[in-house]
Amino acid sequence: MSLEGALLVLFLAWCSLGALLAVLLSERRNPTALAWTGSLAAVTALCLGGRILLPGSEIQIPLWTLPGLGNLRLSLNPLGALFLCSAATVYLAASVFSAGYLGRYLGHYSLRSFSVLYHGLFASVVLVFVAGDVLSFLLIWEVMAILSFLLVNYEHDKAENTSAAWLMLAMSEAGTLAAAIALLILAKNAGSLDFSLLAAEGARLLPGMRWAVFLLSFFGFGVKAGLVPFSVWLPRAHPVAPANVSAILSGVILNLGIYGIVLVNMKFLPVTLLGPGMLALIVGSITALVGILYATAENDMKTMLAHSSIENMGIIVSGLGAGFVFLASNHPAFAAIAFVAAFYHMLNHSAYKALLFLGAGTVDSRAGTRNMDRLGGLIKAMPWTALSFLVGALAISALPPFNGFVSEWLTLQSLLRSVELHSAAIGSVFAFCGAILALTAGLAITCFVKAFAMSFLGMPRWKEAGRVFEGSRSMTTPMAGLAFLCLFLGITPTYVIPALDKALAPLTGASAVQALVPPFLRSSASAQLPAGFVSEFHDLGAQVGKGYLPGNGLVVLHRGAERNPVVFAMSTSYTFLVLVLLLAIVFLATRLWTTPSHTVVRKPRWDGGIARLLPIMTYSATGFSSPVSVIFDALLHPRRVEDARETVHEHFRTAIKRRPERAHILDWAIFRHLAAAADAIANLCARMHNGRLNAYVAYVLIALVGVLLLS
Amino acid sequence: MRGWVFTGLKTGIKSTRYPEEEEKRPGVSPGLPIAGGNSLGLVDICPTNALLASNGQVALEYGRCVHCFRCARAAKSAPLDWSSGYEWADLSAKAGETAVEFGQNGFGRSLHVLVVDAGDCGACLSEIAQLNGPYYNMHRLGIFITPTPRFADVLLVVGPVTEHMREPLRKAYAAMPTPKRVVAIGVCALSGGVFVPSFASGSGVADVLPVDVVVPGCPPPPLAVLHGLLVAVGRKPPSRMFVSQRPVEERTPVL
Amino acid sequence: MMRLQDALEQVRRRWPGEMRGEFGSRKDALEYEMESPSAEVPELCGWLFKEAGYNFATLIPEERESGWELRYVFYGDRNQGVLHVLVRQPIDNRTFLSLIGHVHAADWNEREAEDLFGLSFEGHPRLGDFVLHDDHWPEAIAPMQRSVDGRQPLPHQQREGVWQPLLVLDAPGAFAMPIGPIYSGVAESALFLLETTGEDVVRAVPRLFYKYRGIEKIAEGRSVQDALLLAERANGTCAFAHGFAYCRAAEAICGAAVPDRARMLRLLLAELERLRHHAGAIREICESTSLAVATSQASIPEEELLSLSCSFAGHRYLFGLNTIGGLTRDFESAACLDVAAGAADILRRLDKLEEELRYSSSFLDRLEQVGMVSNDDARTFGLVGPIARASGVARDLRRLQPYSGYERMEFAVPCEQEGDGYARLRILFAEARQSLRIIQQAVARLPGGPVCQRNLEMKSGAALGWTEAPRGAAFHWLRVGQDGMVQRCRLASPSLNNWNGFHLAAEGFAFQDFPIIMASFGLSVAENDR
Repeated sequence: MSLEGALLVLFLAWCSLGALLAVLLSERRNPTALAWTGSLAAVTALCLGGRILLPGSEIQIPLWTLPGLGNLRLSLNPLGALFLCSAATVYLAASVFSAGYLGRYLGHYSLRSFSVLYHGLFASVVLVFVAGDVLSFLLIWEVMAILSFLLVNYEHDKAENTSAAWLMLAMSEAGTLAAAIALLILAKNAGSLDFSLLAAEGARLLPGMRWAVFLLSFFGFGVKAGLVPFSVWLPRAHPVAPANVSAILSGVILNLGIYGIVLVNMKFLPVTLLGPGMLALIVGSITALVGILYATAENDMKTMLAHSSIENMGIIVSGLGAGFVFLASNHPAFAAIAFVAAFYHMLNHSAYKALLFLGAGTVDSRAGTRNMDRLGGLIKAMPWTALSFLVGALAISALPPFNGFVSEWLTLQSLLRSVELHSAAIGSVFAFCGAILALTAGLAITCFVKAFAMSFLGMPRWKEAGRVFEGSRSMTTPMAGLAFLCLFLGITPTYVIPALDKALAPLTGASAVQALVPPFLRSSASAQLPAGFVSEFHDLGAQVGKGYLPGNGLVVLHRGAERNPVVFAMSTSYTFLVLVLLLAIVFLATRLWTTPSHTVVRKPRWDGGIARLLPIMTYSATGFSSPVSVIFDALLHPRRVEDARETVHEHFRTAIKRRPERAHILDWAIFRHLAAAADAIANLCARMHNGRLNAYVAYVLIALVGVLLLS
Repeated sequence: MRGWVFTGLKTGIKSTRYPEEEEKRPGVSPGLPIAGGNSLGLVDICPTNALLASNGQVALEYGRCVHCFRCARAAKSAPLDWSSGYEWADLSAKAGETAVEFGQNGFGRSLHVLVVDAGDCGACLSEIAQLNGPYYNMHRLGIFITPTPRFADVLLVVGPVTEHMREPLRKAYAAMPTPKRVVAIGVCALSGGVFVPSFASGSGVADVLPVDVVVPGCPPPPLAVLHGLLVAVGRKPPSRMFVSQRPVEERTPVL
Repeated sequence: MMRLQDALEQVRRRWPGEMRGEFGSRKDALEYEMESPSAEVPELCGWLFKEAGYNFATLIPEERESGWELRYVFYGDRNQGVLHVLVRQPIDNRTFLSLIGHVHAADWNEREAEDLFGLSFEGHPRLGDFVLHDDHWPEAIAPMQRSVDGRQPLPHQQREGVWQPLLVLDAPGAFAMPIGPIYSGVAESALFLLETTGEDVVRAVPRLFYKYRGIEKIAEGRSVQDALLLAERANGTCAFAHGFAYCRAAEAICGAAVPDRARMLRLLLAELERLRHHAGAIREICESTSLAVATSQASIPEEELLSLSCSFAGHRYLFGLNTIGGLTRDFESAACLDVAAGAADILRRLDKLEEELRYSSSFLDRLEQVGMVSNDDARTFGLVGPIARASGVARDLRRLQPYSGYERMEFAVPCEQEGDGYARLRILFAEARQSLRIIQQAVARLPGGPVCQRNLEMKSGAALGWTEAPRGAAFHWLRVGQDGMVQRCRLASPSLNNWNGFHLAAEGFAFQDFPIIMASFGLSVAENDR
């Protein structure tokens, strides 16, 4: 057996050991055991992913052969390995975090069953990436779906959780059904269940069937990824799960939807149609906008993060859509950039969303509430959590030098490349979507300024504020780790992009690295360039530090011919270095030039001279986001406002009660009607059940005749 | 909008040339009584004990004169003369070492002023508000009114400092960065004016904060306030003519 | 509108055998004082306020040797006169029935009396922290009681956390935005708590009396002449009108006959003050909308009127002119003509400004339909002055209870129906024009003679004096003792009435409208706090 195979077996062994220990050990010792086995499994999975991704190799492990259906096998290619690595990273953080976090459930809910489900979910997630044929893929996908349902429903005695979990399961099953049909169409076309054969035969499908496969797979897997309009389950299900599971749901399970879409539409089907890409781009950008709007208006920390996950999935799918369009119009290099942007964003999202969910979990477990209207001032009690959360918030707001900036910048830049397509229609769609994504980016900053400021800054607004303390070290360490990862991914795009490129180049047929870095910057090429040209760019700063700094410091997008490049440059690495240098210089300068007699005087905050500034006199989260609610009133307008007043003697108000009831636009515009229709159909069916035996006999007969006629 | 621009231009320049030149427009100042003369009968007329008998002459404590005009329009004895003029600001007796000498500019060219109303009747505030208008336009001198003590160099206090405003006033002073100056505007801020003795208000700012510059008047006209601000930062010499002749402790209770 | 006689007849029929009363000795107005048993007062006052068409002026509580005297003052037009409803109770019975539910306008008057006199008003839902802030003074202190020496400091301490504002908004994310007490550029000290969930002000609660100087208390024991200084300085920007009202009260007590020249000159000065006040109010409205050129354009007439007042009368805010029996100085007729001409010039500038403002849509957008006060609310809350007249309540004491020769002047009382910020702005401009008319008539008809009745003997007694101050009806109640010193001085200011209704305008509008609404109300904190 190869080393990779051995690693896979070792990984499964860790997961099994985890499940076994969970049953054997006492409840109290379960969290620690889970942390150990989960982390070891995650490290093993990381090794496995790295072994595949870095050299760009591929493994095939045949399992057995089904007569007439072909081989069942496990296979892992760089694409799967990429997903695997991101999943394993999130799992590593979540597992360590669990050691400190799970204690809050001790005595209330069974930690044994949690641990079993947790390891089971991890194993099934990894196996989804490893599945090499339709049958095992669908089987493991189902297992994954059911395990995540059970984890969402972990606090099973709460009605809210149960209904959210059932909604998630129902929508996920419907999505799986659609995806399964798509896969079966492909399998029928190829005459085999084997993924490698599927890919080889995909080109033979007729355009009509391709559209069908695209729509079924895009929206089928899109349910898992939370694409509009099938995102309604996400903001309900993600927040109710324990925080470590929420991190996994947002950082890992959502990516599975992306994996499915990419698997079917890039690997199995060659991209030749423009339409699917455009559709993906439009759906993606609308998803992003809807997600961030609801995130901004939301006050529950975890629900806000869930809405923001929808937004990020939208950005990723926009990138994918742009890539599809470029690929279909024979611009593989641009496509490669777009895909790099999309997958880079996916990696980033996994990192910072896991970080933010863990942060939210820490806040929830320590403060006892996730309502940002009531939180505040946590930075004093939990500085490390606050710092990590701040890094996550900066990263998700796409501010340099953190990772979100790189991928969102690349996404927007690749959308701008649409000018190369010479089509006004496509160009305007790209421009429209680009504008929506830019708006989304702006709103994201509002949203996370609010999230951080309302929770960690200002005055605490809830009663038990005095009793809050920092999360245990096992909780803060993984957050710090993820925060470092966000910084790392942000300042080393020149290392991350080639790694992504290895996974994506086989799919696009072009290398983003080649496209991203102008030829004159590659060391081999610069020797052949005219000296004047090099010196010109030297003056422009394109080669600053060349030879002194490790690696390519500069991420460059360029367009135009090789001899006449127009350069759009961005370098987070240099930005970061310059930033650090500047800060250091300023610090040293102030230290050197100011005399030590200048003492820092701290004065109480200026409150207008009021006798006592009460917490209720400070801005609330609702207040902070209410300008956004006013501007996007059409979308965020409350469907019903309960407005009651009580007065004494007509003019003295003793109570003004306002309860705006916000319904998600999708719930209100689509799913309300769907639910009504389902109800109606169920009622119709119920009429058939009149309890008379001969009626049922007649049904059986009719069904039999129908089946006979069909066959 | 274009209309407004033309309206503005058409109006021309209204601003006074003060402090470069003396302002001669009628009605910029109600003036103050001039001490001297021997009509000692006036001493009893003054409702706030601003007039004192000193060596057979009428002396004046300007920190108490509330512009009741009784000494100017007295029927009984020869009325006091009134001066015009408005450069009334003086360094407070307690200013001592913190005072900025004339010509020693402590605050550069720009000065930010926090105005705190500690119970004034509205007239002093109204006169300060006139400084923003075109006639006095203190912006041309680099003086700006700021709403927060965090940016303020000078604290301009009006009113006798009521019980309710004492704490807010202290807080505002404490919230100001150093170096800072306190300018007390108007008789109420100097001595409590007509509002003392009282359970509800103190007798001036000096009881609460260290005052650097005092500007008498009820209310001091805008140019006097401006003079006070310029004195506070050493851009104008203080008017030495209004220094109280007696130490604070010996003041007789008013009324 | 019921004539006073008819109203009294109806009162006697409704409450038979319980009302005693007598007509006042005033020559210039119909005044009637009726004593009512404590239990009947709310209904009686409610009937006067709601049915008989009387306006509520003020509540004057007095602690006399014989016991408590609470005087509810109502006024109507010339035929309706001024009606005092008097309630007497022994000194140890401090509980009165509240007028709340009958005369809502009495709300703040009762709260003030509760805080300062230690009285209790049965049925009033919001007693407590009002004039005396609870975090500064012990609850038991009642400084207006006769036993308290107003010249000595009262025991008090800074008590953290005693004051808990009553906040009633129950909504997700509700908070109370505090503004003040020190805020803005040049603003009077007051605290506003704006209850909101982010954009719209749901409930606005002003917390005033930061500037409480205890004028009514410290006036006690001073000579009538010296207390005049306090009356003037209750509100320096309307000093003449308040001094005027105070002098009218004092003159009514001693039966002074103010010379005709002084009466006419007082009108001239009062209208000059109104003109200047309105110019200032217009400037503040322009300032609140950040219209820089208009602000400057409005500042010019304000400053010109100030310097005109100063060169004419010697003081920019007309301090020291009023005295008991007339004026402290005479004016040359040339100066009077000059002042009328100067005022006319300045008014032309204001007219031009109004014209230009009317065509500035960005300016009007911020005023129109903003800060609305309905006609009903304006009546219920007893609003007075330009604010009431902008809401269709055409009350003006110069017309209703004319004094000092207003009955012989030709002028209109402008009235608008919309009740929004723009209506209030239009009222200010229109009233400025009427003021000029009065100034011109006064100058034209100025009779000769002295300006002050000399050798007045101060008598003991009590009387009410009123004027239409620039901000609305001002009532001064003065009681002079045998020693010629002030025993009780009540300064009922228009701002006290209007602040009570301020929240009506501020609620339901966005944060950024708040300064505009405040400017368009043009209220004085000093006049309210006293």
